[in-house]
Amino acid sequence: MSFPVGYLCLVLHCHLPYVRHPEHDNFLEENWLFEAITDTYVPLLRVMNGLVRDGADFRLTTTLSPPLISMLRDPLLISRYERHINKLIDLASKETHRTRDQPEFHRLATMYLERFVQTRQAFTQEYGRDLVGGFDRLQEMGKLEIITCGATHGFMPLLNVVPSAVRAQLRTAVAHYEETFGRPPHGIWLPECGYYPGLDECLRDVGLQFFFTEAHGLLYADPRPRYGLHTPVFCPTGVAAFARDLESSKQVWSAEEGYPGDSAYRDYYRDVGWDLDYDYIRPYIHVDGKRINTGIKYYRITGKTDHKQVYDRATAMERAASHAGNFMFNREKQAQWLAPMMDRPPITVAPYDAELFGHWWFEGPEWLDFLFRKLHYDQHTVKPITPAEYLERHDVNQVCTPCASSWGNKGYNDVWCNRANDWIYRHLHTAAQRMEELGRWFPNAEGPARRALTQAGRELLLAQSSDWAFIMKTGTMVEYAVKRTKDHIARFTGLYEGLKAGQIDEGWLKDLEEKDNIFPNLDYKNFS
Amino acid sequence: MSSHIPDHYGRTELVLLVVDPYLVSAYWDVTQESLWHAHGTLGAEMDGARAVIRMYDISLIHFDGTNAHHQFDIDIGLEARAWYFSLWKPEKSYCADLGFVARTGRFHALTRSNIIHTPRAGPSTRTDERWMRVQFMRRRKPDPKRPLEYLAGDDLFRGLSEAEARALRLRLARDMRDALGEFGGGLPTSLKGAR
Repeated sequence: MSFPVGYLCLVLHCHLPYVRHPEHDNFLEENWLFEAITDTYVPLLRVMNGLVRDGADFRLTTTLSPPLISMLRDPLLISRYERHINKLIDLASKETHRTRDQPEFHRLATMYLERFVQTRQAFTQEYGRDLVGGFDRLQEMGKLEIITCGATHGFMPLLNVVPSAVRAQLRTAVAHYEETFGRPPHGIWLPECGYYPGLDECLRDVGLQFFFTEAHGLLYADPRPRYGLHTPVFCPTGVAAFARDLESSKQVWSAEEGYPGDSAYRDYYRDVGWDLDYDYIRPYIHVDGKRINTGIKYYRITGKTDHKQVYDRATAMERAASHAGNFMFNREKQAQWLAPMMDRPPITVAPYDAELFGHWWFEGPEWLDFLFRKLHYDQHTVKPITPAEYLERHDVNQVCTPCASSWGNKGYNDVWCNRANDWIYRHLHTAAQRMEELGRWFPNAEGPARRALTQAGRELLLAQSSDWAFIMKTGTMVEYAVKRTKDHIARFTGLYEGLKAGQIDEGWLKDLEEKDNIFPNLDYKNFS
Repeated sequence: MSSHIPDHYGRTELVLLVVDPYLVSAYWDVTQESLWHAHGTLGAEMDGARAVIRMYDISLIHFDGTNAHHQFDIDIGLEARAWYFSLWKPEKSYCADLGFVARTGRFHALTRSNIIHTPRAGPSTRTDERWMRVQFMRRRKPDPKRPLEYLAGDDLFRGLSEAEARALRLRLARDMRDALGEFGGGLPTSLKGAR
């Protein structure tokens, strides 16, 4: 067999909803971003730059969703992140002092202290407070492919009742990518992997050349694809669809059988924010006194018990290395098994939520590091690849229409449309229709009217984040998700009515522009 | 505290949403005017009339209002404003009317829904193959060292508004960039060998 026998396309989906509250000095949900920077984004950049430094060739595909890019480049959130990491460093250094007589805890406290100091150093010095620039440099080196996402992660299969809503999500995302990276994106991570036949036409119209579907998107495609999940297909529009591989996904995702559940790995849920004496931890939890996770965790998963054992970093690292080896071995076997049945090397697409790596699965970034090093040095069967490279090498593919699908529970739309969240669609659809209507009324607005139209567009996009419906379904932080949906719908409605009546409250508009400041260069004509 | 949002938007509508191959969600709103209209049309027949969603199976046809493969009624409570209903067959196209069925069987529609397509729930039975070549277009950042510069003549922009001219300029620049990108390094193929 010739090299490579097969390809491995690892995809990390980096996305967080747009959470930014200048009206509060401290806002709990902003921690989602801060934790992801410390736990996931900085470690991922460290892993990739380490691979480049050591000459270990690799390929990785990551989404950077427009809300995430916007938050990572927002001066207010950047300064708040620095405040956050400084506080963590403060807590970690107190912890090294508190644990001085408990060597196994002291070792870990020191590890956290070093880690946080390094993270701060990387964030402020190495990347100059611009992590997006750090990702871009890796893309320019050809190691990383950054793809886009829906403008605010709107779930297309349920927004498409008003087709202009889908177009606006895509046009805004592509324009934002171009502003950020100086060139149009090659491909997209469809929010929640949500696809429906016909969506590829909208993708083609904005110049996107590939997307990803859940496995059954391709397994149930019409006609039935000859090579199943292991080559992309072209939709009739010529846009390529790559499908998620079930086997490799399960090895990493699955709570029971997956690597992250290994007993040697760090336990996410045992955090000093909950464990330590209230008066001691008080300055490091939420300002209103609610205990929260701080990020310092001393225990390992151990097993299904409340008697957790102390985390041992060396053992966990050994386990991560062996899991990386196991993953690679399985990919090699998979490629060797598939290749003889195919006229081209099979591709295995393994997409994951990026925040799994480092945040939930503490050792995830190291696992990735081990995996790429092993793939580079230890074997000649499987080659990491990006979708763009694959399509350059293999430009003839079968023509099929993928099946409507998502990567949510049960594989279709029910996570985003059920009794917990279905009330939102009446409002989202009406607002989208009204936005389209505004575009017709004001074909060439200028001045305050233009600003109001643009802000109405921002409010609509922010209301459409699939994150809100997801949170309402899962049942934690529901209040916040409901509030966000209602706030944006109410703001949109106020702007719509103001524009219609020819009365724009400029003071209020300015306030909204400062609060919901995503997409400064948004074109309200995207909503036509 | 959450903001106040409208409860109604002052119009009569019915919207269907696909949940999965066997489940559809619907929401609707009916204005007082629509109800009066129904009363006016059905008159005495309105007494004892049932509110229904009348589903039309319009898979693979151009629906003209009369040619549905078949139709069926789902009884609803008008005040519920949202409902879920199970279907027995995936991979179908539907639209629906929201209306009243009088005891005489006469139907008065208040509004018609959007069209939905329920997904396939298993592999397709079609195995005929078609293959296609699509050339991948690699996008590159504009290269400041690029030796060629594109200058458009003024004629192109005559009669265009400033915004249109800006859009055209951007598009031309992008087209040029893509064309150059295809040849790699921003140089036409003929110049590559000579370098």
